[in-house]
Amino acid sequence: MLTEGELLALVGHRFPGGHYRIAHWENWLLANCTGRDPMPGDLAHPVVMFHAPILGAGTSISELFVLGQAAGAGSVGLESYDWEYFRPLREDIDYAVDGGIVEAERTTSETGAIVDRVAFRIEFREGEALVARVTNRWKFRRTAA
Amino acid sequence: MIVNVGDSIPAWSMDHVDPARMRTMAAILRDPYPVHWDRSANAAFGLEGRVINQGPLNLSYIVNMLLEWAGPSCVRRLTVAFGRPVLDGEHVVAGGTVTSVEAHGDERWAFCDVWLDREGEHVVTGTAVVAIPPADS
Repeated sequence: MLTEGELLALVGHRFPGGHYRIAHWENWLLANCTGRDPMPGDLAHPVVMFHAPILGAGTSISELFVLGQAAGAGSVGLESYDWEYFRPLREDIDYAVDGGIVEAERTTSETGAIVDRVAFRIEFREGEALVARVTNRWKFRRTAA
Repeated sequence: MIVNVGDSIPAWSMDHVDPARMRTMAAILRDPYPVHWDRSANAAFGLEGRVINQGPLNLSYIVNMLLEWAGPSCVRRLTVAFGRPVLDGEHVVAGGTVTSVEAHGDERWAFCDVWLDREGEHVVTGTAVVAIPPADS
């Protein structure tokens, strides 16, 4: 398990950054997974803003688990999302992607259970224009009470 | 489109959370977490034989409700918190109400409380900001 100092030191970690292009097949399958018809035209389903920022920033769910030292099934959970859309997201546009870890916190319950919360923020840009920004908070359960 | 404070957003229902869709979603997300696709992974916490729906899919049902209501490019902001997990085979319903309507530049924005319910229990709760079509549309 991370020490509290190691946890807090995650704040400021920057992902490599990179680019992401939403493919038509990916958008089609994603919409299908959500239970709706394909999106009209080249519009991307808004829920693309879970995986596209992570992959576009040059990281992965696996790497985020390693950074947070997840201990296996059941030890990681979603806490919250804050997703902002400044322009519609579209297929086949080369978005520049950049982000990093912005918050980390350790809490201990009255029963002694330790939960670490880690937030990362990633931005999507088209040229200089900010297109979308996500802030996702994950929780890492360290010990059962 | 006429929208007033207190309006209910027409509900959007996922009648049967499908484990096949979870598997496809895991591939799209490059998600290595076996709780979404390996029925033996969840025994340790009392969910033997079940798989857990991805959080983004739970959120997507709320998003689909908003898209059906106000159009395919309407979403401006989603702020949600996740509660208890949704499992394969369950029936969930997205709902929402309008809490305010404000001008924002050339657009009108509806601020909404949103949720995803399973048998009356909120499993996702939050707020959404939605650009709504002109009142005369």
